[in-house]
Amino acid sequence: MKIIGAILWAATAVFVLLAPLFLDRGSLNDLWNLAFAVILASAWNLLGGFAGQVSLGYSAFLGIGAYTTALLALRGVNPFITLPLGALIAAVFSVIIGLPAFRLRGPYFTIATIGVAEAIRVCASSVSFTGGSSGLRMPAGSFDFNANYFSMIVLAIITVALAAWVKRSAFGRALAAIKQDIDAAEALGVNSTRFKLAAHALSAAVVALAGSLYAINFQYIAPGSVFDFRLSLSIVLMPIIGGLGTVAGPVLGALIFSTLQIKLLSIPALRDSFLFIYGGLLIVVMLFEPQGLVGVGRRLLSLSRSFLRPRMADA
Amino acid sequence: MQQLTSVILNSLLAAGLYATMAYGLAVIYGVMRIINLAHAGIMMLGAYVTFALFTRFELDPFLALVIVAPLFFVVGVLMYIAVGKQITGGGSTPSIESLLVLFGVWLVLQNLAYVIWTGDTQSILTGYTMKSIKVFGVRLGVPSVLVFLASAVSLIFLNVLLKRTYLGKAIRAVTQNRDAALLSGVNADRISAAAFGLGTAFAGIAGGMLATLMAFTPDFGRSFLLKAFCIIVLGGMESVTGVAAGALVLAFLENGLAAYTSVPTSLQDAVSFALLFIALVAFPQGITGWFARFERRTAR
Repeated sequence: MKIIGAILWAATAVFVLLAPLFLDRGSLNDLWNLAFAVILASAWNLLGGFAGQVSLGYSAFLGIGAYTTALLALRGVNPFITLPLGALIAAVFSVIIGLPAFRLRGPYFTIATIGVAEAIRVCASSVSFTGGSSGLRMPAGSFDFNANYFSMIVLAIITVALAAWVKRSAFGRALAAIKQDIDAAEALGVNSTRFKLAAHALSAAVVALAGSLYAINFQYIAPGSVFDFRLSLSIVLMPIIGGLGTVAGPVLGALIFSTLQIKLLSIPALRDSFLFIYGGLLIVVMLFEPQGLVGVGRRLLSLSRSFLRPRMADA
Repeated sequence: MQQLTSVILNSLLAAGLYATMAYGLAVIYGVMRIINLAHAGIMMLGAYVTFALFTRFELDPFLALVIVAPLFFVVGVLMYIAVGKQITGGGSTPSIESLLVLFGVWLVLQNLAYVIWTGDTQSILTGYTMKSIKVFGVRLGVPSVLVFLASAVSLIFLNVLLKRTYLGKAIRAVTQNRDAALLSGVNADRISAAAFGLGTAFAGIAGGMLATLMAFTPDFGRSFLLKAFCIIVLGGMESVTGVAAGALVLAFLENGLAAYTSVPTSLQDAVSFALLFIALVAFPQGITGWFARFERRTAR
């Protein structure tokens, strides 16, 4: 099973890297969107899935990355050089927020993150240096689709690999312990605050990188796009629908999300209301299969096994 | 002096509305120990139902509240049967699952509204929307005064309900000590359904009243949800008085900042969101922990 999984991952990576050779621009754009969604979902899953700390404020980090890149690019800096700086600022910010917020547990943490992200959105649309609510336009002549495509794809591959590594590492096991029972984890010597801060900073940095690439690709950002609450929402929905705390879950969730998105956005009546379906999915998933699609898959697998076994015994 | 009176009066008016919208959240939290994220969606729905009654039947928005309140009570009970029942943990702290389920309900409501009413900005314009009256030399908009009066009426009604009826006593009993209440024969299921209905009705009323004050879209309600959280974290949820006190604090802070500092009004919301964060962090175990500490202190 493990080998099949590894081969599947590798084949997917090779496919998306070679895609520009045989796919048209429209499909490549869809792949870019998919990669963007995969990065956001997998990065969020580091904290939300592995450590069980559900944050509804990830648009803040995306916005920080995007704004860092746009503001520096307007001062003549090559946008790709700004990537690490945006990631660093987002990571530092995540620690500043996390230090007080991680004292809160469960839903209180979630509510606090909504408050922080909304406060930042309001600030970004009312102070002048961010261009207010009308946003920022990147300087002309910095657009190169191939560079944008490959950077997003490579980041997506790295993020998924990072998630797989974290899940196996001691770091990931500490996060899992925090998720299961934070008091027990503390009693066993896990410094829960430090691990949560680390996971928060790591995922914030990755999301900020994706935000920078978003700004580079779309050439225009505004508080209404990068700090949008709907964005925070989508970031949370993808891993939950796919399967919290797994490596494949967020990728599956992102795949479904971005495919559905393209389909739904093409129906004019649903342009504003596509999240309807996700809301319904969220209710169904949480009530019936909190492990998401990965959980459904596991169930089917064990069902088919128990179905096959007696037959083999008969023969 | 003039400015001070203005701040006090405006804060009072705002606090009435804030208390109404926060109480809906507090009663559901108190009885069921769940954080009702769908509250924002219900407020939005309240605004649209009031709007529909106003445009279709030319019903005055404040009279419409008399229809909205029982209607939303029924909606709340139905919501409880459909989803609420499955997610009541009964534990001392709410579960993240319940939060996410109600978040899903919010999304469904919001996007249902997009389908029915589209994303266009709507507003309720009555003959008195632009009128104002003078109280102690301060100009106050007629709708804000009416909103305050309607809030006062509903909060007084609520206080009577909580103090004098069996339902109210049962709600308070479950809020204070769930196990003891269940042991003394309170039907948890029925009380939870009633509390959910009550909370939903209050959210509906708050939404309807907000609609008379400002324009709204299906996205409306989120900032008010956060304000409502801020209030119940600040004021607690044991009593209507606590909620009212929290509402007053928030309203004074918002109006005071607007009047005495150069913080632009566009940043006003950021202030209350930041306050929410600070209030949450200042009471680290969340609201219940703070109450436990408070009870210990008063017991001594």
